[in-house]
Amino acid sequence: MRTKVLLLVLAVAALVAAPAVLSPGLVNASIQMLIAALFASAFSLLCGQAGMLSFGHSAYFGIGAFATIHAMNAFNGVGLLPTPLLPLMGGFMGLLSGIAAGWFATKRTGVYFSMITLALAELLHALAPHLKEVFGGEAGISAMRMPAWGFTFGSNVEVYYLTLFWVLLCLVLLYLYTLTPVGRLTLGLRENTHRLRFLGYNVHRLGVLVFAVSAMFSGVAGALQALNIEAANYVVLDMQLSASVVLNSYIGGVKVFLGPAIGAALMSFFGYAVSDLTRSWLLYQGVLFVLVMMFLPDGLVGEFAKRVREGRFGLGWERLSAGVLFVVALGFAIVGFVCMVELAQRFFSTDYRSMIVGTPWPPVTLFGREWLPFSAVTWGLPLGLMAVGLGLLNFASRRLDPERGGVS
Amino acid sequence: MEHLLVAILNGTIYGLLLFMVSAGLTLIFGMMGVLNFAHASFYMLGAYVAYALSGVLGFALAVIVSPLVVGAVGVVVERYFLRRVHRFGHAHELLLTFGLSFIIAELIKLFFGNFPVDYRVPADLSFSAFRIGGTDYPVYRLIMGAVALAMFGVIYALLTTTRVGIVVRSAIFRPRMAEALGHNVPLVFMGVFGVGAALAGLAGALAGAFYTTNPNMALELGVLVFVVVVIGGLGSLEGAMVASLLIGIVTSLAVGIDASFADLLGIIGLGDWARAVGGPLTLQVSSLAATIPFALMLLVLLVRPSGLFGDKS
Repeated sequence: MRTKVLLLVLAVAALVAAPAVLSPGLVNASIQMLIAALFASAFSLLCGQAGMLSFGHSAYFGIGAFATIHAMNAFNGVGLLPTPLLPLMGGFMGLLSGIAAGWFATKRTGVYFSMITLALAELLHALAPHLKEVFGGEAGISAMRMPAWGFTFGSNVEVYYLTLFWVLLCLVLLYLYTLTPVGRLTLGLRENTHRLRFLGYNVHRLGVLVFAVSAMFSGVAGALQALNIEAANYVVLDMQLSASVVLNSYIGGVKVFLGPAIGAALMSFFGYAVSDLTRSWLLYQGVLFVLVMMFLPDGLVGEFAKRVREGRFGLGWERLSAGVLFVVALGFAIVGFVCMVELAQRFFSTDYRSMIVGTPWPPVTLFGREWLPFSAVTWGLPLGLMAVGLGLLNFASRRLDPERGGVS
Repeated sequence: MEHLLVAILNGTIYGLLLFMVSAGLTLIFGMMGVLNFAHASFYMLGAYVAYALSGVLGFALAVIVSPLVVGAVGVVVERYFLRRVHRFGHAHELLLTFGLSFIIAELIKLFFGNFPVDYRVPADLSFSAFRIGGTDYPVYRLIMGAVALAMFGVIYALLTTTRVGIVVRSAIFRPRMAEALGHNVPLVFMGVFGVGAALAGLAGALAGAFYTTNPNMALELGVLVFVVVVIGGLGSLEGAMVASLLIGIVTSLAVGIDASFADLLGIIGLGDWARAVGGPLTLQVSSLAATIPFALMLLVLLVRPSGLFGDKS
């Protein structure tokens, strides 16, 4: 317990100190990471704790963003809602839309619920471009961050601290929520709805409540996004965002409180870091998600937490060597896979196709080396790396798994 | 009048197409309890595989081979992916198929680019079947409708009259009992999953040539297919048929209507007021066509939560 608190304090201190050492580009990326973390946590309240898997959470994020932009234009930084309080507007509209949508969606459970949330989000997405006054059509709408309370909000460091404050506040509130009786009932919603009903609880109303709270915090995340980029476009309501919050949360692990937040922050950091290097980031994200689903159903953070709890980091020499082998093998497989995807991406790109004039086909450059399309090395090397990596992975995981004759 | 007739015909054929995709989805759900998020991706895969093959094999052969390829992909997905996560529960299976649909879309973008490809109806099939009033009606639409109807007939006959059909139906109805009687239920699951995927692939191969073939087609159709199965009732083949036709015809009709709510309110003398209010009241029905299926779905959920043909859950 004490180590946990210490770690948390250290993490918060690091977040507060971050802008002092980071470049402006990285500060911007950190803002995105914080927003993604909050959005994923809000989403996971619904899908992790209440067991209701929503495929349309971008709707509430988007509503929060648009509400904030409108509030920014309407109040102009003065009056009731100065700039630092604007996320309240996003949260409020998220709450309202969450009550309305949740009332429909929580009428059904399981896959029906998922499909209703998807349909509601698509409904909004289909409607938005036609409602020019509200969503600004194709161009979207923009607003200005006005100075307030002695801050100008001109630099992104100030925006970072504003975002950090709101994200930490919301995470604390979300955590406190899990400690309340309603928070415990939320878990009951996931585990056994029938029993809750027999105990006399109004399951539908409870579902709507959880849905609305989740939508509210999603709205706050949307508001922070709007504050950060000072604009909103109906593209924010797209399926892409709903999909990425599902992927990120589950990659982190929805059953641990900080799992989705850490997952989302990590994934959006990687997205930022590799966006210049590759066009296939979404593919890697999808593959990582499927691998996590198949081999680590509790998610990366969830699995880590489980191992810490069970004390499965016992360091024997044999275990350590198998662990190192595992990591090396994983590295081999990843490098092989990435090589193959990147090569394929380059050979099938329109740029490359337009370069082909007669034979022989020109090579492509990757990792500072030229690769010919029909040479055995080009495809054999990545495939070989992958095969070696997978073979070693199989061996190492058998050594690590006591149930299959490995060392414990 | 002729306009109406054309709209209804178009809607019917689009509905039949929707049915080809949703039939597999609803069968798989009824059998395994898995909502296959990647099902519409099989539809897209069908279109792209047929496009890639049509250069080599010619259109007709490509349309035949493509569903087989997609069916094989479906079998692999069931055998090596879904079966692995089965023990983690249905939510995990749904999420896995969601991830797979994501990967399929990204792979398509990787190989074919993030834009529509030039997959077209061959010239010797793009003539008009008959004229309604002043409009030529393309024969290809009729072919799509006929194929969908034929598939429905074949599946229905297979399920109701053959021995294989009996085993499949019993595996859907009481999987454990069927297994206890010595039938290989996992094999049946794999087979039905493959056939469902192949059907979606066939629909894609046919429709991709007529409509557009782009990396978003899976999502666009997928959402509609989910609406269809919710309206029809999950697991019900008849429900899927009725709901597909309903959605196909309603959206097709709506596209041709220029009226708005303001005109409707005009009947009771509130037209000018509504036009002054603006916003959603002056939106034309035609521009709302894309939202009508969702509105219909919400309506069905309110009135009859288990869908038109669904069991009470």
